[in-house]
This record gives sequence, structure tokens and C-alpha cells, in this order.
Amino acid sequence: MVGVAEHEVPPAWSVKRWLTTTNHKDIGILYIVTSLFFLVVAGLLALIFRIQLFAPNLNFLSANSFNQMVSIHGLMMILWFLSPFAFGLANYVVPLQIGARDLAFPRLNALSYWLYAFSGVALVVSFFQQSTIDFGWTLYAPINTAQFSPYVGVNTGGLALLLLVTSVTISTVNFLVTIIYLRAPGMKLRNMPMFSWSILITVAMMLFAFPPLLAAILMLVADRALNTIFFVAPEGGAILWDHLFWFFGHPEVYIVLFPAIGAICDVIPTFTRRPLYGRTWIIGAMIAAAVISFTVWGHHMFNTGINPDVRKAFTVTTIAVSLPFDVMVFAFIYTFAKGRIKLNTPFLITLEAIFLFIIGGVTGVFLASVALDYALRGTYWVVAHFHYVMAGGAAIGLISGLFYWFPKMTGRMFNEKLGRAFFIVSFAGFNLLYFSMFIVWEMPRRVVTYLPETGWGFWNTMATVGGFIFGLSFLILFWDLLRSALYGTPAGPNPWNGTTLEWAIPSPPPFQNYEGQPVVTEEGFKFVSMNGAPHVEHESHMSPWPFLIGLATLAFVIGFTTNFYFFLAASVFGLVTLLGLVRERFVVHDPKLGERWPFLNIEKVKLGFWTFLASEVVLFGTVISCYVYLRFNSSAWPAPGTIFNIEHGAVNTFILLSSSFTAVLALLASKVGNKPALIGGLAGTLALGAAFLVNKFMEWRELFDHGVTFSSSLPGTTFFFTTGLHGAHVTAGLIVLVFLIYRAFKGWYLKHNHETIEYFGLYWHFVDIVWVFLFPLFYMI
Amino acid sequence: MGAESDVRWRLVVSTTFEVFNDLFNLFWILGTAVTILVIGYILYNVIKYRDRGVMEDGAQVESPPKKQDKGLKLLLSTSLSAILLLVLIFGTFGAVDYLDNPPPGGIDLKVIGYQWGWKFVYPNGYIATGELRVPRDQVIRLWVTSEDVFHNFGILSYHIKTDAIPGQANLIWFTAREKGEYLIQCFELCGAGHAFMIAKLVVMDTEEFNAWYSSVGGRRG
Repeated sequence: MVGVAEHEVPPAWSVKRWLTTTNHKDIGILYIVTSLFFLVVAGLLALIFRIQLFAPNLNFLSANSFNQMVSIHGLMMILWFLSPFAFGLANYVVPLQIGARDLAFPRLNALSYWLYAFSGVALVVSFFQQSTIDFGWTLYAPINTAQFSPYVGVNTGGLALLLLVTSVTISTVNFLVTIIYLRAPGMKLRNMPMFSWSILITVAMMLFAFPPLLAAILMLVADRALNTIFFVAPEGGAILWDHLFWFFGHPEVYIVLFPAIGAICDVIPTFTRRPLYGRTWIIGAMIAAAVISFTVWGHHMFNTGINPDVRKAFTVTTIAVSLPFDVMVFAFIYTFAKGRIKLNTPFLITLEAIFLFIIGGVTGVFLASVALDYALRGTYWVVAHFHYVMAGGAAIGLISGLFYWFPKMTGRMFNEKLGRAFFIVSFAGFNLLYFSMFIVWEMPRRVVTYLPETGWGFWNTMATVGGFIFGLSFLILFWDLLRSALYGTPAGPNPWNGTTLEWAIPSPPPFQNYEGQPVVTEEGFKFVSMNGAPHVEHESHMSPWPFLIGLATLAFVIGFTTNFYFFLAASVFGLVTLLGLVRERFVVHDPKLGERWPFLNIEKVKLGFWTFLASEVVLFGTVISCYVYLRFNSSAWPAPGTIFNIEHGAVNTFILLSSSFTAVLALLASKVGNKPALIGGLAGTLALGAAFLVNKFMEWRELFDHGVTFSSSLPGTTFFFTTGLHGAHVTAGLIVLVFLIYRAFKGWYLKHNHETIEYFGLYWHFVDIVWVFLFPLFYMI
Repeated sequence: MGAESDVRWRLVVSTTFEVFNDLFNLFWILGTAVTILVIGYILYNVIKYRDRGVMEDGAQVESPPKKQDKGLKLLLSTSLSAILLLVLIFGTFGAVDYLDNPPPGGIDLKVIGYQWGWKFVYPNGYIATGELRVPRDQVIRLWVTSEDVFHNFGILSYHIKTDAIPGQANLIWFTAREKGEYLIQCFELCGAGHAFMIAKLVVMDTEEFNAWYSSVGGRRG
């Protein structure tokens, strides 16, 4: 295979390699190692607060430290360990399974990683700024507002979350496009390996679940930094936050769980040596669970006083969501039956994950019952239940996958005895830790201590002992994997007789994965030689910019919360690095052939753009829903036309619609190769966009003069936030336009290179359409 | 459990507890049975179909699984589960209709959570802090709210709870069956004092309560 040989990139022991790589296997390993680091940090936090809970009335930790540790433990485990760990495996394995050389957008993949890594650093930094988030990972309102939690560290934590969501959004787009666009010839969706299927469903869920979280955190940051009153006003406040957070929060559980189920679905047929029973049913069940998961968030709000009939409806949907998982578990059992089962470590750990998940699932049905939830809410029943699901089903399931693919990643076998030791010790420790919590389920969660008379002491002691045993099992795990990566016996390409594509190539796979183009046929896999094909041009595999952008965002966050001049410098640094990324020549060749159903004729970048715009639609949809919710929830709202001057709105509507017209002209000029018309069209769009912002500035100033400010009332808060978010999108478009005009002057984007103008047009029209919704909502109705 | 303590922790003491307990037992019995059956069935299959031979190395990669089972057995197992779940749903609906609809009569009290404690406002205007005295065998309706952040008001032994949210009042109710003292605690992380946001529920005989209530007459309600 022509292309880049391994010797053209820095060797594996060089720091430069790891800071600049865009290779999916390198980034997969970076993700796995970093997420395991956060597992250790969050796990140590848990062990420390388990010491505090060892016996009643202990004073090992202050309440302030305890609350911070509990909160960061939850946030870090879910968002900085579980999901990134899953996506580390996905980064490594999905391209190998579907026959791709890399992800669709390798540099953006590196960018996702660095944003994630630096957001984690920001979260750790927040610990050292007075106090970090100390009101639980659910960040309930109104204790999350500046009035009750005025600490700098909380702002840093919020911004760290924003960075993480940015990283997740980029990953979502990347994986969706990769799985849709880069499958090898013959790799139809119906025979795509289960792990890749699970990732496809996971990222589809992420596309709809994360924008509401983004909206919620943006509103929270606005409340804290600009004094808006989304979560301060009782009309919004606690209930608004609950809706937003749990609309994200419940799908998030399946977002961390599905990759584990996918890994399990690949482990089971390999070690039972039978095809997975009811494969199509499992895929259908996952899709069903994914869809239903967006209709169950109200079960987290049974105690909030929402309508009793709505509570019953949420009971039904929540209980119903257990059925798809029922299908999966029974499909696994029917696969075991009549198999020839090898009890190797990956399979044993898969069994462990299934057992723990069953207990987590059954105890979850209790919480789905609104009547039982009146008692179970806020207790250790909840804690035990979701740890059985997330630490048991998800984390242990993913560790099964880690053992399974470890020989592929390192080319060496792990130590089977140590692997089994991990299985036994983790299973014992886990159950002692979390089953004890079921026994003392009446105990309130997140309390720093408890009274001796409650009788909760013994089982808390057991839980703490179990916690340390569970922690010990991870020492065994790390010791095994670390030692085996260096000294393990060579694994060969296919130690498990796996049947999926990743096992048909050497371990570890060559830098570009395949010698020749993989093709899936009825009989198996073929690798079609590329000899005779036109010479494959050099491809790029390194870029310094993702790392530098990540560094800039960390500086930005720290500057934002500490020093204004540092903040300014970081912003400039950030723009320079972004410009560096855009100006860099980065060559990626898409395969000529492949399976692309259902988007056969859409170009890769355009597909990425549409996916990104879909997440934007959900973001603005959420923000607009919040406005509608607040308006209906307020007893009084000013009549239309009484605060917002319809003339400003009408003028801006006219300006923005005209700018869409000039953007279309620019695209037409670009297609026919008319440079002056292209520049004219772009400049016209720029001028109109700027006019829009100027008019908006004047409108805002008038409003401020009349006493309508961010904090004056909910109409002010929602207006400034929503139109401000839209204005920020316009501003971003203008910055891009300046760059496009500069390049157009230098002769870019003519005739066959018109795509960039087209993508910009998509974005710009989207921003216009948003305004078409905002204008009547704020000015006319 | 401290036998010498006056505070009772786990006795069957209120109507709401009885309803909870029946429903909980239904879930618990079905849940345990299903868990044991399913895990047992997994273990049975894994042990029965276990292959003790060593894994042969380096075999050729087979084609991806082509023929799949139809999966009809799944329809059967899932239908059985669905029937069990329907039982649980109807059990829940029966219980929640009872819990959500307090009977008439009795006493209405306002409960106000704050960082970090509980205030109880009686119909006559008397405000008690940290101690809720009520007569037994009467319907007690609590309208729970908060004056600062999100709390959750829970009476442990009665297994009832509701969120205490600023700007709204959530209703819960109970009828105490036995005299005694019971623990009230906050169940939503609300800051440094969360663990110590505790109050005491005191259930008294009617005459005893009436005597106490007129002694704290306060403002006329």
C-alpha cells in the first residue's frame, strides 16, 4: 500500500508523536489512558469519602470537602471517565471493524481529544479555586446560582463542562459521518459488527441529548456571569433545570451503557463460538431503548409536584424501557445455549457485567414506580441502583471490551490468571460495596455523616471495605495490562478466532490499518490490492493545532475566572490557533468505494455539516422551548409590542433575509468562476450581517436605557439570552466571512472548489431561519 | 438501633407506610424471583455448554455470521416480562391514587425548608422549628416549600417524601397510627448543613396534642 509508512511519523516513544498525532489508534489509546487516569482520580475521591462514611459521626472530612468530592466524583466518573473510555475503544476499534483507514475527520478527532483532556484539567483546577461544584453532579437549581454558590471554582467547573460538550459534539459529528460514509465495500449496516452498531446508536443519541445540556449550562453560566435569572426566578428555577438536565441525563445513562453492550455483543459470539442469537432483535431493541429513553426523564421528577397523570405516564414509559433490555439479556442467554463456551477473562468479565446489570435493571424498575419513588427518592437505593448499572453494566462491560481488544492494541496477550483475579476481586468488592447500600437503602444519599441510632453503621462499614476491595481489583487490572503491554507473549493477529474485520489484520495493526482495500464478501474478507490504481497521494497524519487549540481553551477558562488580561491574551491565542488549523494543508483521501446507505450521494463534509446543524437545531429548539415554558409558567407577561420594538425586529428580519440572498449569489458566482461577483456576494453578506449586529446593538442599548436588562425580568432574560445566542452565531459567521473574502481575493473557491462557500451558505441560512422563528416569538406574539 | 432512644426508626406506623410496604413487597418478590431465575439460567447454560479445551491458535478468519436465528424465542420471554411489568404498573397506579389523594378533614400544615432546618406553620399561626407535633389517627396534610434552595422533605419511617422547592408548595399526607418520635430528614443535597437538616416528628394522643396546641395558641389563625 502506498501512503504513509510508520517511519514518516515520529516514533511511539516521542512526545511529539502523541501531541500531534491524528491517527485514530493513537487517539484511541490517548483517550483510554486519559479516561483511566480520571477513573483513578474519581475513584480515589470515592475511597476518601467512603472512609468518612465508615462509621457514624466521623469527622474525617468537613461537609464542604465531602460535598465537593461527591459532586466531582459523579461528574468525573460519568463525563470524564465512562464516555471517553467508551470512545477510546470506539476510536481504536470502529474504523478497524468497518474497514476504514481512519475517522472521517482525523484532525477534528484530535481536537475532540484535546478539548476533553484540557477540560478535565480545568475541572481539576476548579478544586483549587475556593470551592468547586459542591451541590452534586446533577447541579440542581437554584443552589447552582451565584447567590448560593458564589465560588470561582463553580464557574471553572461550568466552563469545563462547556468544553467537554464541545468535544462531545465534534466527536458525535465525526463518528456519525465515519460510520455512515467510510464503510468498506460489502460492509452493509446489516452485517456491521455489533460494537460499531452500538456506537452508531450512541452517537445518534448524543446528537439529541447533549445540546439540551449545552443550553442548560449556557443559561447557568449566563445566570452566574451576566445576572440573567433563568434559575433564580421561581417560574423557571428548580423545575426548569430538572427538565433540561434530565432530558439529557437519562439518555446519558444509555449513552454510557450502549458501548458496553456493544462490546459484550462482540465478546459473546467469539467465546461461545456461536453467532449472536437474534442479532437484528438486539439492534432493534437498542434503537427502541434509545428512542424511549427520551421520554422517561420525568421519573427523576416524581417528587417535584408535576402533574399526577404525567407522573403515571412517566411510570409507564420508564417501566417499558426495561423491555428492550430484557430482549438483550435473553438473546445473550439463547446464545450461550448450545455454544462451546470458553471461559477466558473477557467472557468472565462480560458475565460479571451482565449479572451486575441485571441487578441494576431490576432495582431500577422499583424507581420507575412513582408510588415507590416517594420513598426511594434521594436514598442509597438510588445510589446502589445506578452504580449497578453504570459502574457494573457500563464500566465492567467496557473493561471486558478492553481485555478483548487488548491483544489487538498491543500485539501481546494479557496475563490470564491476573485477568481472572480481577474478575473475582472486582465482583466480590463490587457487591460488598453496593449491595450493602441496598440493605441500608433508607439512608439519605450525599450526607457527610449519620446518627448512630439509625443502625446504618454496620453496612456502611461493609460498603467501605467493599470499596477498597473494588479499588484493589483495579490495581490488579492496571498491573496486568501494564506489564503485559511490555512483556506479554505475542498475540498474533487473531488470538480469539474472532470473526470481525479487526481480527483479519496484524496486531497491532499497521499505521494505515490495511494492506489494500478491505472488501466484505459472502465468504469472508478480501483485501484488494491497490496495484494498478492511480498513485495514492501522500496523506497527513500530524497536526500541532488541535493540541494548541485545547491549550488555548484551558487558558481561556482560567483567564475567564481569574484575570481579564490573561483572558484577552488567551482569546487572541485561541483565534490564532483556530486560524492555524484552518490554514494548515491537511490531506485526507476518501475511499472511492464503500457502503454509504442511506446517504449515498452526499459529500463527506456536507454530511458533517448537516449533522452539526442538526445539533444546532436541537440547541435552539431547547432555548426556544425554555422561553415558551417560562412564558406559560409566568402569571403575567407584557403584551406583544410593549417592551420589544417591532421596528427593530422587522428591519433586522429584512436585513438577514437579504443576506441569505447575497450568500446564494456568492455561491452561484463561485460555481461559474466569477471572482468579482464572488467577492461582491461575500462582502454584501458581511455588510448585511454587520448591519444586523449594529441594529441589534442599538436595540439593546435602547432597552437598557428603558431599564430592561439581563436581570430585570424574565422577558428581559429570555430575550437577551436567546437573541444573544443567535447574535453570537451571526458574529461567528462574520468572522468566517472575513476569512473567506481574504481567500477569495487570493483566487480560492472558484468553479470546482465552491464547496466551502456552499457549507458557509448552509450555516448562514440556518442562522437566518432561526431568526425567522425568533422574530414572531419575541416581537409579535 | 438504639433501644434506649426515644426515636423510632422502622415500625409500621402510618397508613402511607402500609401502602408503600405492600407495593414494595410485590416488587421485591417479583424482582428477586426474576433475578434469581435469570442469573440461574445464565449460570446453568454457561456451565452446561462450557468447553474445557484450549483455544486453538491462529485459525483462519471465518466469514461474518450469515444465517441468524429468527429470534422468536425472544418474543415469548419478552411477552412474559411484559405481563409481569403490567402487574407492577397496575399495582403502582392503585397505590399512587391513594397517596396522591388525601382524605378530607384533619389538619393542614405548611412546611418550610431553609438552609438548614425545617419550620412548621400551624393553622393558628404558631411556627415550630425542628419539631413537628401532630395528633394520631388524624389526616395530616403537609404543604412543603422552601425559602432558599431545593430541599426534599422526608419522614423516614413513613416512607413519604416530597421536594421542597422555592415558589411552590407540594402536598403530602399521612395518618399516624402510633404515638412516638420519628426522624425527618432532608433528601436533596442543599449545602454544607445538608446532613444535619434534621427535624423530629412527634405523634401525640389527641387530648395531649390539643392541650399542647392551645398552650401555643399564638396568633389566631
